[in-house]
Amino acid sequence: MLTTGGSHAQTVPRTPPRESAKRKVSRLQLLKYSMVNVFLVFHILAIACWCMPVDSPLILVGKNLIRPYFLWSGLFQSWDMFAPIPKGANTYIEAIVIYKDGSRSKWTFPRMEQLGLTEKLFKERYRKFADNLVREDADALLPDAARYIARMKSGPGNQVRTVILIQKWSLIVPRADGFYVPEPWDQHVLIGYGVQSEDLK
Amino acid sequence: MTLRGLLRAWNGFFFAEQSPTPIALFRIFYGGLVTATLILLRPDWLSWYGVHGWVTLPTASNLEPGARLNLFSIIPRNDACIEAFFWVSLGSAILLTVGLLTRLNSLLVFLCLTSIQQRNLYITHGGDTFLRLAGFFLIFAPAGAAFSLDRLIRIWRRKEPAHIQPRSPWAQRMIQLQLALLYFVSFLLKIRGAPWLQGTALFYVYHLDELRRFPLPSWFFHPVVLKLGSWSALVVEFFLGVLTWVKEFRYFLLALGVLFHLWLDYSLNIPLFQWDILSAYVLFVEPADIARSWNWIKHPLAERSAKQA
Repeated sequence: MLTTGGSHAQTVPRTPPRESAKRKVSRLQLLKYSMVNVFLVFHILAIACWCMPVDSPLILVGKNLIRPYFLWSGLFQSWDMFAPIPKGANTYIEAIVIYKDGSRSKWTFPRMEQLGLTEKLFKERYRKFADNLVREDADALLPDAARYIARMKSGPGNQVRTVILIQKWSLIVPRADGFYVPEPWDQHVLIGYGVQSEDLK
Repeated sequence: MTLRGLLRAWNGFFFAEQSPTPIALFRIFYGGLVTATLILLRPDWLSWYGVHGWVTLPTASNLEPGARLNLFSIIPRNDACIEAFFWVSLGSAILLTVGLLTRLNSLLVFLCLTSIQQRNLYITHGGDTFLRLAGFFLIFAPAGAAFSLDRLIRIWRRKEPAHIQPRSPWAQRMIQLQLALLYFVSFLLKIRGAPWLQGTALFYVYHLDELRRFPLPSWFFHPVVLKLGSWSALVVEFFLGVLTWVKEFRYFLLALGVLFHLWLDYSLNIPLFQWDILSAYVLFVEPADIARSWNWIKHPLAERSAKQA
């Protein structure tokens, strides 16, 4: 019986196996196609919503909705290269380092204009970092930077007591005839950081 | 246009199968650029990403709150692991370039690149951002379907024919859209600033000592030249963002874009930025034109070797 039943099932199948497999594949393809379309529509709308500098309440709502996903996935983006207003001053950051014995030394963040071509390639990140260090909304970076300098400058016999970070700047101002003459350098203190012994570990 | 026509256009744009040679070439450029980025970061790797780096992980998390895809917050917090992370990133970028385990390595490269940027966002430039975004869509692309070791292995195992099979280009289109959007948004943000509209923007940019790279001729600093330069940058960005989709203008605009970026690369010291962007230009080249260019290169070489024989 079993054999007969088996042979019957083989000779008269309910649906031909090739056809049912085909149907399964096409159903899978349709599902894949639909999912890809949802993915495309969502991402096109979301990226456009995130990027477009349009002050519309609808865009703002959209931006807030997608923010967690964009921040998590790394799809956040901004394309404000030299925009809307390019940086208007030459700047650099200097650190005054005061040691426990009262001596002082100076350390300057790598300044691209003073480096050779190859060095510039490797050290350019310092330019970007220095630009971000002076941003008001990134104040929290300053203590970390001061601690890093303290660790770098501390020796076994002479530990750093204080790090003072100073921003130096010279405004870029066009002369009346439109040409450029360098302005004198000005400065302001970004942070004076008292180094703790645990900072040096 | 009817709804049916719109759907047909959508399907044609995203799903009409084409040769995967543009996305495969992009994969090679992309992998090469990620590799170069990592090599440039190498000397200061622990300074930027180490436990006691310029920015510590808790500070980075406080400044950029929220859940983030960041492997640095998962791996053990010691410098040995962070060093190992570098070598894994570099290894996967090299494997992606040669196209070995392409899908897995494109995922790994994206994860590593995103983590590196999330760990220290304060040293990234627009080129890095573009690599991150392109990397996301590259995961879904048939990037190993041509010019890859994966394909060679598949041919050797007789799992794939010798001629390249057409594939659906939807992921490639997303990278193309991302590039066009980059130019267009950059244009929109620039025209919000008075210096760009007045034509004085490049005066400031080209007097930033820190950005100077190779020497520039003195005539370039003439106020009139800088003014024309500022406005030209706006025009080029607008056209590249909007008109590259029009077939008749495409190659002319791409050539203009190449000149534009080469000039920026010569004059401004923002390493790899221009190349990060230029790498995606190949996605706008028709596969047939890539094949034609390859034949044009291959033909004289074959001729020369035949003559020598």
